[in-house]
Amino acid sequence: MERRDASRLLLGLWFWTVIFFLFAPLLVVILFSFNTSQISVLPLRGFTFGWYAKLFSNAQIGEALLNSLFVAAFTVAISIVLGVTLAIGLSRHHGRLSNALLGFAAAPMILPRLILGVSLLTFIDALGLRLSLGTVMIGHSLIGIPYVVLIVNARLASFDHRLEEAARDLGAGFFTVIRTITLPIIKPAILAAALISFTLSFDDVVVAFFTTGVENTLPMLLWGLLRHGITPEVNALASVTLLVSGITAVAAELMLRLSTRTPR
Amino acid sequence: MPKRFANIAFMTPGIAWLAVFFLVPMIALATYSFWSVSNYQIVPGFSLHNYRKAVGDPIFLDLTIRTIRIAVITTVLSMIIAYPVAYYLARKVRRNRLTLLMLVIMPLWTSYLVRTFAWALILGRNGIINQGLQAAGMTDAPVEWLLYSEFAVTLALVHIYMPFMVLPIYAVLEKFDGRLLEAARDMGASRWRAFLTITLPLSLPGIVAGSIFVFVPALGAYVTPELLGGTGGMMLGNVIAQQFGGTFEYPFGSALTVLMVAVVAVLVSVGLRHSSLGRS
Repeated sequence: MERRDASRLLLGLWFWTVIFFLFAPLLVVILFSFNTSQISVLPLRGFTFGWYAKLFSNAQIGEALLNSLFVAAFTVAISIVLGVTLAIGLSRHHGRLSNALLGFAAAPMILPRLILGVSLLTFIDALGLRLSLGTVMIGHSLIGIPYVVLIVNARLASFDHRLEEAARDLGAGFFTVIRTITLPIIKPAILAAALISFTLSFDDVVVAFFTTGVENTLPMLLWGLLRHGITPEVNALASVTLLVSGITAVAAELMLRLSTRTPR
Repeated sequence: MPKRFANIAFMTPGIAWLAVFFLVPMIALATYSFWSVSNYQIVPGFSLHNYRKAVGDPIFLDLTIRTIRIAVITTVLSMIIAYPVAYYLARKVRRNRLTLLMLVIMPLWTSYLVRTFAWALILGRNGIINQGLQAAGMTDAPVEWLLYSEFAVTLALVHIYMPFMVLPIYAVLEKFDGRLLEAARDMGASRWRAFLTITLPLSLPGIVAGSIFVFVPALGAYVTPELLGGTGGMMLGNVIAQQFGGTFEYPFGSALTVLMVAVVAVLVSVGLRHSSLGRS
């Protein structure tokens, strides 16, 4: 038994070391965002909220934040409407075709974002269209839809379809079944998928880089600022985005857990 | 309404959207890859010139080799780091397993731009590591190769994509039947032998799936080499981005992208057959 405990202890130690490796760089960014010094080097000089105050008085940042929220909101709407209907359709259709379609819907997730970005840019160029926040939304929907389809599809695969059959036997029509049985059961999964597509859109810089016109999203602004070096404002801005995605991620996780607890 | 028809009606909008904004752009890209540029104008036609340049020019060959090397090393390191993590979570933890798993996954949902530039604060000339080394008297001058190098890019890519490796390995190990191990132990196999002959082979499908999830985005990395690579850590992604940005060489950029998509497609289709994904 002693050896078993030893291996458990060693593995536990490894686990927490890896967690440290994952989070320490993020903590460094947050730490420097509160440092009074102009340059981000040790030792820390003193504690200040000043960089955050400066951030909130910066009109450029406010504008970029609004753009990002605008893009993310539409991305979530598009991804949820198209992804959820697609997942519902796929879950009722079994066979080669639905497997192939599921693979097709998941494909944009596997490809590097760079490829999504440049192919969309080429397409827009070929059509002679103008780049705008609208084209960013289209690009982000390619990031969001696969996650929505996979999350909702997984939930639909695990619930008891006899519930729907029972409703149908009792005379409910197709849309009544979807509205009164299917949607309420998969609601937590849909909410989780919505939160995840929000944070994916809110944090994306690669697809936005190729598909945005003159307007900046928040990560694009951060990207531009980084070219001039890492200032305390950059750290503060980065910390704010970390906070937003952190909260969204925790909420999404809680929703996912809720979704596996609801009746099957 | 007939059920079958309703199902197709449900699938159509999503599939149509992806066809228009994902599939057609890919076709557009493939088409552009055969076109050429003259006098800053894109000229339609059919020429293999871009592909010849991509394959034949030693500069791009070097870049391709470096890109693949970085992606391979990133994948192998992720494997080594992630396997014990997944094993611990799946086989050794009893309580709060999901919460601990979430700790590993959570960084995936935070900005990779931030996760990338954080390393510049750590690895830079005046970064935390260099200051630490100098304070400890281990070096007199800052270690220069830490940042703007292949090393920095690889380290950051491992940091960014490693959690993708944990998930599929965890999923495989969690379903794994512990009685197999007991049987092996009862028959006299040592702990290591039981691990090497039973646990490890059975977790291969998860390792393959995780390797695809790490290798592919590392191969197409753009932000990380751009911020941390300098010239020595430049990757194919940077050159592709340049063709679509400053130099306006869409056709050549398209050819490079098509080659990358081809590599990804081959890897994914081979990988799917041997991974935990193909079976679900």
